[in-house]
Amino acid sequence: MRAAASERVLVLLALLIVAVALFASTFGQTFSGGGDVAQQPMFFPRIVLGLWAALALAALVQAVLAGEGVAPIASWTRIGVVLLAIVVYANAIAWEGFFVPSVVFALVCLPAFGIRNPLVVAAFAVAVPGALVALFNHGLGMPLPTSRFTYLF
Amino acid sequence: MRTQTLSVLLGAALALPAAAQDFPERPINLVAPFNAGGGTDLLLRGLAPHFAEAIGGDVFVSNMAGGSGTVAASALQGQRPDGYQLGYFSVTVSTIQPQIKNVPYGVDSWTPICSVAASPSMLFVNADSPFQTMDDVVEAVNAAPGEYVYGSSGPGAMTHLTTVAAFAGLGILDKMKHLPFQGSGPAIKELTAGNIQFFGDTEVLMQRGDFRPLVVFNSERLENYPDVPTATEVGIEAPLNELYLWGGLFAPAGLDEDLADILEEACEVAVNSEGFAEFAESSGTVIRYRGREEFDAFFRDQYEANQVLIDAAGL
Amino acid sequence: MIESLPAALAILFGLEGILVLVLGTVLGIVLGAMPGIGSTVAVAIVLPFTLTMGQAPAILLLLAVYAGSVYGGSIAAILINTPGTPQSAATCLDGYPMAQRGEAGLALGWATVASVAGGLVSAVVLIFLAPQLAAFALEFGPIETFALILLGMTCIVSVSTGSVVKGLLAGTIGIFLSTVGGDPILGEMRFTFGQWQLFAGFNLLAVVIGVFALSEVLIRAAGPITRVSELIDFRGVRLPTRAMWRGRLGNLGKSVAIGNVIGVLPGTGAATAAFISYAEGRRSSPNRDAFGTGEPDGIVSSEAANNAVTGGALVPTMALGIPGDAITAVMLATLTLHGITPGPRLVEDDPVLIAAIFAGFFVINLLLLPLGMLLSRVAAPILRVREAFMMTAIVLLCAVGIYFVRGNTFDLLVMGAAGVFGFVLRRQGFPMAPLVIGMVLGPTLELTLRQGLILTDGSFPAFFTGHPIALVLGIVAVVALAVPMVRAGLARRRGTA
Repeated sequence: MRAAASERVLVLLALLIVAVALFASTFGQTFSGGGDVAQQPMFFPRIVLGLWAALALAALVQAVLAGEGVAPIASWTRIGVVLLAIVVYANAIAWEGFFVPSVVFALVCLPAFGIRNPLVVAAFAVAVPGALVALFNHGLGMPLPTSRFTYLF
Repeated sequence: MRTQTLSVLLGAALALPAAAQDFPERPINLVAPFNAGGGTDLLLRGLAPHFAEAIGGDVFVSNMAGGSGTVAASALQGQRPDGYQLGYFSVTVSTIQPQIKNVPYGVDSWTPICSVAASPSMLFVNADSPFQTMDDVVEAVNAAPGEYVYGSSGPGAMTHLTTVAAFAGLGILDKMKHLPFQGSGPAIKELTAGNIQFFGDTEVLMQRGDFRPLVVFNSERLENYPDVPTATEVGIEAPLNELYLWGGLFAPAGLDEDLADILEEACEVAVNSEGFAEFAESSGTVIRYRGREEFDAFFRDQYEANQVLIDAAGL
Repeated sequence: MIESLPAALAILFGLEGILVLVLGTVLGIVLGAMPGIGSTVAVAIVLPFTLTMGQAPAILLLLAVYAGSVYGGSIAAILINTPGTPQSAATCLDGYPMAQRGEAGLALGWATVASVAGGLVSAVVLIFLAPQLAAFALEFGPIETFALILLGMTCIVSVSTGSVVKGLLAGTIGIFLSTVGGDPILGEMRFTFGQWQLFAGFNLLAVVIGVFALSEVLIRAAGPITRVSELIDFRGVRLPTRAMWRGRLGNLGKSVAIGNVIGVLPGTGAATAAFISYAEGRRSSPNRDAFGTGEPDGIVSSEAANNAVTGGALVPTMALGIPGDAITAVMLATLTLHGITPGPRLVEDDPVLIAAIFAGFFVINLLLLPLGMLLSRVAAPILRVREAFMMTAIVLLCAVGIYFVRGNTFDLLVMGAAGVFGFVLRRQGFPMAPLVIGMVLGPTLELTLRQGLILTDGSFPAFFTGHPIALVLGIVAVVALAVPMVRAGLARRRGTA
């Protein structure tokens, strides 16, 4: 319970710090706009960031006072693996194309969600991305990013 | 199999890069820096089949939208110049945006291949507007400074530069207000509604509403509008007197000369093909082909000349 | 218009016409129902085919795919809580809770009937009132639009399930995200920190898919493993009975009207309409207290409005030559390509084409009902696969869908980051719909505010003194904010007394 409450305080604190940091960053730059508020690029963002900071502070106070808990995490390993896999996957497509990272992602993600049969995992991991590549790259002529080895996938 | 080996041997014997011999051995990507279905995208899709036929290989159009076209140009600039990736860039993407934004490309980032189209831009008012000539406009603006509003489809867009060229050229820009919109659609709506009094774009777009052109930024009067004076005639001096929405194919800088020649030739055949002429006719595209050298010189010249416009616009 | 109808119907019910309408609608529904693949990708896929078609079939194909994908988006929103497009984000709010209750088929039934009703009414309005509506759209300048968007922003409060403060905070973050990139008035770069990839700002769809679809995958990864997807008892659409409609017709009518009016105004769009309609339903529906817990009126508000927008958006497109939203912009470009100049003269110059488009839109909406029911029956078994396959496939499809929106792998990074961000916030009880509202309305809010200040020489009060429509909308916005608070206050007093 206490750990959960502190997780919430931590998140809200982070949101508050980001808002303040972004607000501070709006004063460092110079822009071409004149004196009119409508001509100032930072006029609107400053209002929004000010509001953000105020609301984050209010939510923080609420969280500290109420101390309500968050849903427990069933398996830290699983959420850790899936989260990391998604982030790496989103990055890898730019460098390695769509097919190869997709296969690897499915090979990691399916067992994490509890599929144990290696044959099923391998078949899904190759068939689904393969079908997408066949459809978009070769059927419709609107290719997904391709790998460094060949333009075929 | 045997012929392939033979051609490789032959290529080696002639001391030509194998790449140029077999080019293209995979599909060529034409990048539209705007969304699918936009004007640029459709023009490129109209050109693609003729380009494919001329070069004897597969060609596909892909879209990479965002940042007024700068995202696609920035991405293409960082690609290997292998001839398989070409961008279709307009005057604003290639000469205006790099001078007003801190993008990673500039005048030397490209191997220009060919220009495809160019339309002169025009300044126009609503059909029920009291203004018949530019003289009327100058008089009215001088009589009521800060009263009149000109619109644009966004800061730094062709529509913005057209109005800037007109009003800066006549010395009344400081006495007017600029109201940018997101895209030509909303701006044209406000012109119809009367919230803005002036807008500038190409002939095709002007015909979408009941509008009256006041001046055209061309070297001579337009065939369809013989009564509309050119900018020079109303007293706008060079380099603000001519303004064209042009576009052409660019490859990243450092493209092999032989590949560039192949692409240029294919472009020439495609742009001058009967099929593309038909397409241009129905879509209102004004074809303007320039070869590699001519286009390179024109592009560099425009890059320089548009500096004046950018300064006038205060961008 | 009416006298051209026979000729128009001949086009529609020719072989090509029927083929285009049916295939387009089916394709749209299927693509829209896949999480991550939304209207944008659906339109991009069929676009090359339209280039080789005649004028009317080309436009009808685009319309059919678009209307089908908007409807299909509600399927994904209801069944797996992952809206494929921002306009079905409001449908999740009540659709998903209803599905979780085991009433997935009925929830889809409400969505289907509401979509069809919204579409059909807007088609009729389109046929008879297009010129009048177009004239009305011209009354809406930047200042009036600003007031309308302000009204839209008040929905943030009504969609904030749980904590209003957190809802407002999420909405504010959404608005901020929309300010990253080029300044709309001067073109200066904001919060890009020298990264050219950010010059175009954060892509709305990448963020929406991230915070809804990917965060859903992460939340399921954080929970206990289920052997099958949660919603096993979905066996196809179940239409609401007449008795169920009692007391809900008023809300349907109002939602259709809101969708039509907002659709007519260029630069607003389906997502705005869905949220404003949802907020209005929550304020005035007799079932308002159940909103957010799986209330049919919530689904109806969102779906009737977002589908009515499609018809509304055709009004300025065809009557004035001004695109009402992204898809009508594509249609205009396609028309131009076929040698037709869209604009005020189009109705007189080419009445048969216009009549064919309007009548075709009516037919497409009629088709949604049988095709939607048929396809959902075919698709039902797919939802019964194990969660692992479903979640993995969702991530792959989202990557495909987001890549094609702008053809940029950077957007995939944004999607991944938004997924993690959404997961962290949702764990802390933050509602995600306000974040989407903020991102959808933020750019127009800022642009019209600053445009208004330019027009009034920097006087904010002049927004309301000189513009009666803006004044009325402003008052409605204040009332919309105040009424729930007063009501909550009264309820609290009654509760303690």
